[in-house]
Amino acid sequence: MKGHADYKDALALAALDSADEAELRALDAHLASCGECRAELRALRDTAAALALAAPPLAPPPELRARLLAALKATPREGARKPGETEREAVAGRAAASAHDAGRGSNVVSFEEARRGSRRVIFSRPAFVFGAIAAALVVCALAAATVALWRSNSAMKSQLASVSVALTETRDELGEMRGELARARQERELLSAPDARTADLVGTKAAQSARARLTYDARTGEAMLVATDLPPAPAGRAYQLWFIADGKPLPGSVFTTDARGRAETHGTIPPEGRRAQGFAVTLEPAGGAQSPTGEMYLRGTT
Amino acid sequence: MPDTREQPDNELLRSVARGDESALAAIYDRYSSILLGLLLRILHSRGEAEDVLQEVFLQVWRKAADFDESRGRAFTWLVTLARSRAIDRLRALDARTRAATASAAEPSEEVSDASADAFRAEQREIVRRALAELSEDQRTALLLAYQEGLTQTEIAARLNQPLGTVKTRTRAGLMKLRELLRDKFEGANALF
Repeated sequence: MKGHADYKDALALAALDSADEAELRALDAHLASCGECRAELRALRDTAAALALAAPPLAPPPELRARLLAALKATPREGARKPGETEREAVAGRAAASAHDAGRGSNVVSFEEARRGSRRVIFSRPAFVFGAIAAALVVCALAAATVALWRSNSAMKSQLASVSVALTETRDELGEMRGELARARQERELLSAPDARTADLVGTKAAQSARARLTYDARTGEAMLVATDLPPAPAGRAYQLWFIADGKPLPGSVFTTDARGRAETHGTIPPEGRRAQGFAVTLEPAGGAQSPTGEMYLRGTT
Repeated sequence: MPDTREQPDNELLRSVARGDESALAAIYDRYSSILLGLLLRILHSRGEAEDVLQEVFLQVWRKAADFDESRGRAFTWLVTLARSRAIDRLRALDARTRAATASAAEPSEEVSDASADAFRAEQREIVRRALAELSEDQRTALLLAYQEGLTQTEIAARLNQPLGTVKTRTRAGLMKLRELLRDKFEGANALF
């Protein structure tokens, strides 16, 4: 039988959620009967959580907070009772039912039946005619009101639509500008590190106007790549960054571009990659590759 | 009515479990920047990270009653929620959508609560210093596991190293980090 010592590796890996399936299954079975290891896993999880602080914090945009707080109202908490039928639904249901009854009444009772004096005929003929005229007037008035309402409604709708288009455009522009700013800030931060490096990559024959800049901290490996003017990757394919150290290409992050051919990717370069002299971007299967297989689009050196 | 900014995480989560929206807002104000930073590391996309951040806090809202303080710290619970949602999202996305959304970068804003931020900045500095004391190999293995959400097998393939070596480094790194962080902080809101 295995003892605690045999689970030490598995506990650390489980605390980081980095254990493989089989390892996790074996550990689960042991944890079920071992309080000591459960306590150890909890303690290691607390340590692992501290790693969250190793990433530079990033304040979310204020709209996100507002959106979240608005969404709370629509999100029932676990165990909270479900809201019943709303007042509006109930009213709409009743209105539909009475409209249905009224329709059946007017269609089924013919003039002939009315004249034959069945139990339904409680009006004399002149009264019936008067009633019919009154009903017709009401219908006309309702129709006119409906048309007027519909007109003002559609006018408001189109106004609203144009305001919303303008708002979206403004927001997009603002978002872009803020994005630029955030990027510039991050680049400046990376560049201010003592071991900062940048590499400018230029397009190959495959994409002559393409450019990219890789900025990274050679000590920590923290890196960002911004590329422009890359052709959109075909379906099932993506671009991949390579670090060329001692003539050997090491795999880097996999990315695709937006509609305008721009791409931005953040990540951590593994230690061997930080000594790289050369960099390249190739087109690979969407999941990335261990060594380059596709055409080269960008290349550059430090 | 206590000032929510002073309340310990545990108490705030208890209030959230009772349906207190201001308690959720207080937790958000305290941790959204840290969590968004982490989510961006995992997802490499600002848009996706913000999307998952909102999901995480909605989940906190729904599930705060599940948090059991006898079984771990509130911060650990939050970070674990955030990481697992981010890793689920990462697996669901293909590389294409990942980078396409990366360009739809949204703005960053200054953190509002300066005193709380100073406290966390100090904790960040301690973590940074502790990480700097690990060997390069240990640090890389830990960060690939934690921030990139890779399994040991995936890390071994990425670094082109034997699986056993990677596991040993990861475990040694985490144990050393625990030693370095031990007794660094006391108090209800200490992160470790």
